[in-house]
Amino acid sequence: MGMHTLDLTVNGETVSTSVPARRLLADFLREDLHLTGTKRGCETGICGACTVLVDGQPLKSCLSLAVMASGCEVRTVEGLREGETLQRLQESFVRCAGLQCGYCTPGMLMSACALLEANPQPTADEVRAALGGNLCRCTGYTQIVESVLDAAGRRDGD
Amino acid sequence: MHEFDFLEPATLAEASRMADDLGDGVRFIAGGTALVLTLRQRMVRPSHLISLGRIDSLRGIDVGPDGGLRIGALTRHAEIAGHAHVRAHWPMLAGMAARLANPQVRNQGTIGGNLCYADPATDPPACLLALGARVVLASHRGTRELALEDFLVDYYETALGQDELLQEIRLPALPPGARGVYARFLRTAAEHRPLATVATVVQVEGDVCTRARIAVGAAVPVAQRLPSAEAELAGFAITRERIEHCAANAAATLSPLDDARGSADYRQAMVRVQLLRSLGDAFGLERT
Repeated sequence: MGMHTLDLTVNGETVSTSVPARRLLADFLREDLHLTGTKRGCETGICGACTVLVDGQPLKSCLSLAVMASGCEVRTVEGLREGETLQRLQESFVRCAGLQCGYCTPGMLMSACALLEANPQPTADEVRAALGGNLCRCTGYTQIVESVLDAAGRRDGD
Repeated sequence: MHEFDFLEPATLAEASRMADDLGDGVRFIAGGTALVLTLRQRMVRPSHLISLGRIDSLRGIDVGPDGGLRIGALTRHAEIAGHAHVRAHWPMLAGMAARLANPQVRNQGTIGGNLCYADPATDPPACLLALGARVVLASHRGTRELALEDFLVDYYETALGQDELLQEIRLPALPPGARGVYARFLRTAAEHRPLATVATVVQVEGDVCTRARIAVGAAVPVAQRLPSAEAELAGFAITRERIEHCAANAAATLSPLDDARGSADYRQAMVRVQLLRSLGDAFGLERT
């Protein structure tokens, strides 16, 4: 089977390469680009640890073929140095203890980043809805929701 | 994952001809949320995937002169949920799309892919049945239009021919005053796949129901209308007793799925409850 050309930007950098059609976006990011911040968790599209932003929208990179991202702008948790929103989120997750083992955190950050870019002042319910596709088995979610609200400058969550 | 080739035709006719030429080893891929999972689990082993991503005629939501809706098969769930006209005039549809699965899947998955995959444990089929949806299927030989009832054949089975694609979904304009309610039951709040869905569209004059379209999904192998429930409502004054009787009767006519996610009895009971609540809401009756 042939290789397929793949032109996209990842965290603002242009990438031109070729991949086999069966290469998952998650594997392309981790194994070809060595961006291992994106995690593979359940690998069945449930847990959201592999969440990345494609053209600004969170999606599950374990359910996406890399070839389908051709021409797109991909952002991963490594891109957090570039964006103000992600940096704020990262600091809030530390301040509010929004993580324990940390495995779900990159996916949580990416979903939260997309939320805050679209809706800078979300309510607690809007945060919960935006994180509905991301599972955490440690925190019980309360501190994660608080972290996102903290990054939005509204700990009260109203 | 098994190896396969990836083709990106620019038109429907080209995609259909590729499927014709390549035969049984071909699968069309839209958003990929369902198909990539089945590929990874080796449930399907195609020789070729034909991507629909470059076929622009499959995109977009258009409002017809009569107020009906045309939804391109490649429209993502999040686009339906966020579309200003759909939110204003088809709140039942927008609300369904806004709750489907989870945010990531709504950003990636398409309404056409959802219908073609024909997974019963999902939201759109029942909602679209109650709204009277028709589908347009296209191949290089031409197009044909089917009622959604006739497109959804059985568990993971549709009326699509080997070289046919779903082009668009057509919804007739809602009659003035029609009220729609879409309800879904999840076993836990964290589940992304419903165990029972009920969609209700009714018209009322005074306290008399003049028309009812009711559909059930997720609890049964393939989403279906509930003709007995519709007959028990249309033409009658609506009382709490009538909707209770209607919900119990309609649930009893079903042959629900019986699997690890929910027993047949449980699903039947949840359909009855969802139906009762939906009818109560649609007819403006107080919940008891």
